[in-house]
Amino acid sequence: MPTRIEDIRNFSIIAHIDHGKSTIADRILELTETISERERRNQVLDDMDLEREKGITIKSKAVRLLYKTDNGGQYIFNLIDTPGHVDFSYEVSRSLAACEGALLVIDAAQGVQAQTIANVQMALENNLNIILIINKIDLSTANPERVREEIKKIKGLENSPIFLTSAKDGRGIKEVLDAIVQYIPHPRGSGDKPLQALIFDSVYNSYQGSIVYLRIVNGTVKPGMKIQTMSNKKTYEVTETGIFSPKRKKVDQLSVGDVGYLTAGFKDITLTKVGDTITDAIHPSEQRLPGYKKVSPVVFCSMYPVENDDYHNLKYALEKLSLNDSAISYMAESSPALGFGFRCGFLGLLHMEIIQERLEREYQIQLIATTPSVVYRVHLKDKEIIEINNPSSLPEVNTIDFIEEPFIELTVVLPSQFLGGIMELVQDRRGIFKNLEYLDQDRARLVYYLPLNEIMLDFYDRIKSISKGYASLDYQIINYQASPLTKVDLLVNQDVVDNLSFICHKDKAHERARKLVENLKTVIPRQMFDVPIQAKINQKIIARSTVRALKKDVLAKCYGGDITRKRKLLEKQKAGKKRMKKVGKVEIPQEAFMSVLKIE
Amino acid sequence: MNFIKLGLYIHIPFCNAKCPYCSFFSIVAENELIKRSYLDALKKEINIYRQKYPETVIRSIYLGGGTPTTLSGPLIVEILEICYKNFKIDKDIEITIESNPATFDFKKAGIIFQAGVNRLSIGAQSFSNKLLKNIGRIHDKKEILNSYHIARAIGFKNINIDLMFGLPGQTIRQFNKTLEEIVQLHPEHISLYGLSIEPGTPFEKLFEKGILKIPSDDIAYAMYQKAIDFFNNYGYEQYEISNFALPGKYCFHNRIYWKNQPYLGLGASSTSYIKNIRFKNFSDLNQYIYLLVNNILPIESKEILPLKEEMAETVILHLRMMEGLAKSEFIARFKVPIESVFAEQLKRLKEQGLLDDNESHYFLTRKGISLSNIVFMEFLD
Repeated sequence: MPTRIEDIRNFSIIAHIDHGKSTIADRILELTETISERERRNQVLDDMDLEREKGITIKSKAVRLLYKTDNGGQYIFNLIDTPGHVDFSYEVSRSLAACEGALLVIDAAQGVQAQTIANVQMALENNLNIILIINKIDLSTANPERVREEIKKIKGLENSPIFLTSAKDGRGIKEVLDAIVQYIPHPRGSGDKPLQALIFDSVYNSYQGSIVYLRIVNGTVKPGMKIQTMSNKKTYEVTETGIFSPKRKKVDQLSVGDVGYLTAGFKDITLTKVGDTITDAIHPSEQRLPGYKKVSPVVFCSMYPVENDDYHNLKYALEKLSLNDSAISYMAESSPALGFGFRCGFLGLLHMEIIQERLEREYQIQLIATTPSVVYRVHLKDKEIIEINNPSSLPEVNTIDFIEEPFIELTVVLPSQFLGGIMELVQDRRGIFKNLEYLDQDRARLVYYLPLNEIMLDFYDRIKSISKGYASLDYQIINYQASPLTKVDLLVNQDVVDNLSFICHKDKAHERARKLVENLKTVIPRQMFDVPIQAKINQKIIARSTVRALKKDVLAKCYGGDITRKRKLLEKQKAGKKRMKKVGKVEIPQEAFMSVLKIE
Repeated sequence: MNFIKLGLYIHIPFCNAKCPYCSFFSIVAENELIKRSYLDALKKEINIYRQKYPETVIRSIYLGGGTPTTLSGPLIVEILEICYKNFKIDKDIEITIESNPATFDFKKAGIIFQAGVNRLSIGAQSFSNKLLKNIGRIHDKKEILNSYHIARAIGFKNINIDLMFGLPGQTIRQFNKTLEEIVQLHPEHISLYGLSIEPGTPFEKLFEKGILKIPSDDIAYAMYQKAIDFFNNYGYEQYEISNFALPGKYCFHNRIYWKNQPYLGLGASSTSYIKNIRFKNFSDLNQYIYLLVNNILPIESKEILPLKEEMAETVILHLRMMEGLAKSEFIARFKVPIESVFAEQLKRLKEQGLLDDNESHYFLTRKGISLSNIVFMEFLD
């Protein structure tokens, strides 16, 4: 086993969704004979079902490989897998910071996509050497030459070597491995300097607490050593150090250039934040590694169990999930309409969707999730600034000076034939045009600024449908900007249904209110009295409709043969009634809320 | 010990054509032979029950369907004669037959009247040829009037006419006209049914596809309210949610159901209710005949009603009648006052204005009649 720092290569694989990142990783694992054929499952690094199904990697992982070159050289490869979605871009950037190089995978048929560009930018920011891989050349629709042309248009890739591969049949992978040795520099740093280790991930284990994945930038760490997390200056004693092969395997120490893990009795993962620096507590480094930031949720929604009895299961599930995902936040709340639930915060829409699915799948909890909201910065007249993530908690309008909302830079890569449709959509969502570039004759890259709020509802689906599935997008939050925003409340029989309140641009309030009122009218069953449904801004009603009183609910025929069947019908009707939620005097089936929240 | 008084229902599962809204069990018979085999099976069924309940007294006979009058006159007579022969029959028994105007003529009317049928139910449904066509009836208005006048000429003194509202294409104005026409005939009894879209019927499919359009609930409600007032003005008493009659002409047989009293149902798909056990025959002609050929009762399912459910059904069924439920009746049957079982429900429904009571009875209010499902649901779990 090589031990010299010159023989280590630390790298990541980055790619747009479905371009073959995990399959490439599998082939690399095979060729380095790190794991046996018997152990091999497709996409070894992704071990959550959901990751397999969605074809994305949610949490980053690492694996240590031994590679022997044909001329007898031996190298240690540390492959750090990264999450493949914009919601996790901070995690991606920290994983990249633990590397010296990256393999950028591009689908030979689909070409450069929005995330490809975002990935390149992130890799360049971390000064990585990039090796380009045009993958899936086995496809009949593959067009590597076109992809080469597209790559030329991306700044910063001029000196990167390009390889053609088929991860499916293994073509080109060996060449990539040799390129890793040749093009990716070995780590630098000194074993004699005080310890500096970058945390790029952590997982929770009920026996050992938080297990920290790290890259040693300087110095050495071993069990028994006193260490400190630099963001909060807390001190711990290392209990175990190890590497990934690919399962965790104890080693005596980790030294400069190494990628591995350590445990030190961290009670939970909020103590081991991604991007933080671990140092020697006795001889601390003077400097933290750059790039650390506190990650806060940007998208919030309320989640309620469909069955009231599931509340405690939901609470337990959220506790469990947040053990391994410090980006989830949750707070108990209650609603007259939906019962007891939680206000939850996420890194983005995909993150939210994944958590909702995991709750439903792994914990078998059926959920009602409210429309997601961004975090608004409300500037009050008394100069106080408050952040709200729930429209219903917006203060009285006469106390508000102005409201700011998060803006994003949106990048869409698309066939140019769809430019008109997509631009129209984005403009309708308050988009501000920033840039348009052609990647080749018929593909373009479009950049807009727009409020994050505008992509919360029905945006991805619209993009996909307008572009027939060919557009890809990526975004990042850039800043907060003041907007003429207003809160709309929905009233059912004069009672505000707080879960249906929303904040939106003044010009869009009427339209959206009217739609919501009409939707509600169709899903609220008729009661024994007229039920007015209203939308209001402050005290002004801007839309209304009425669910007329139920007058007739009668079974005409009931003779000898009918009784059992009629009774069953009534029992069913009654069971439905029992499940209804009450808003004031009005009984509303939960499905009604669900369908309104969906339609929205 | 086995002495029971029963209403007797006999199902005749044959029609000349299937109506697309109807969910009752019936088939279009391919030939007369199948009717013969059915009758033989029916005979066997009666035989088995005679041996099972030798002391049975029959209080009413109701030939329903299907369309009983698709049978020939002699076959209908044969059925009645088997009943007379095998069971003790109450003096002044009410014997009803359902008929379709297209399958009813002078000769048949005479034969069945002679055989003891004393109540005729005419499945008119509407007096508009257009609406009759819309709902797939095989007869027209002229045939309705013919049937009615034939029955009168033969001597029937107790005639019911079935009427429907909320039909596809029906307007309030059209319905009013039908009301006028029916009272001019002056039948003793009128059954008024709102069209309901039943599962498994062709109408259900058409309705779901949006091809079939029926009047809104509000219009159907207006028709129903109009009919109640209109019939009242002409001396018809609404004695049940869907039934109106001149004084003294309530249907005895159907009141057995609503009083939750025992009845025996014969024939395919029929239901019986004897001593808190409800059982139902197979709704499959071959199965029904095959089992009886082998001397096995063709019972498909059996349900023993727990006390609480029997109580609930007793309340619900009685409340279908405008007279409602006699408080003394409940005590006589269950040995406890109704208030000790359903106090909360009774209170709530009274507060909602759906139910009322006086010294002797609980009964639906006018509002409660139209919202009776909401009332009935309260008594169920």
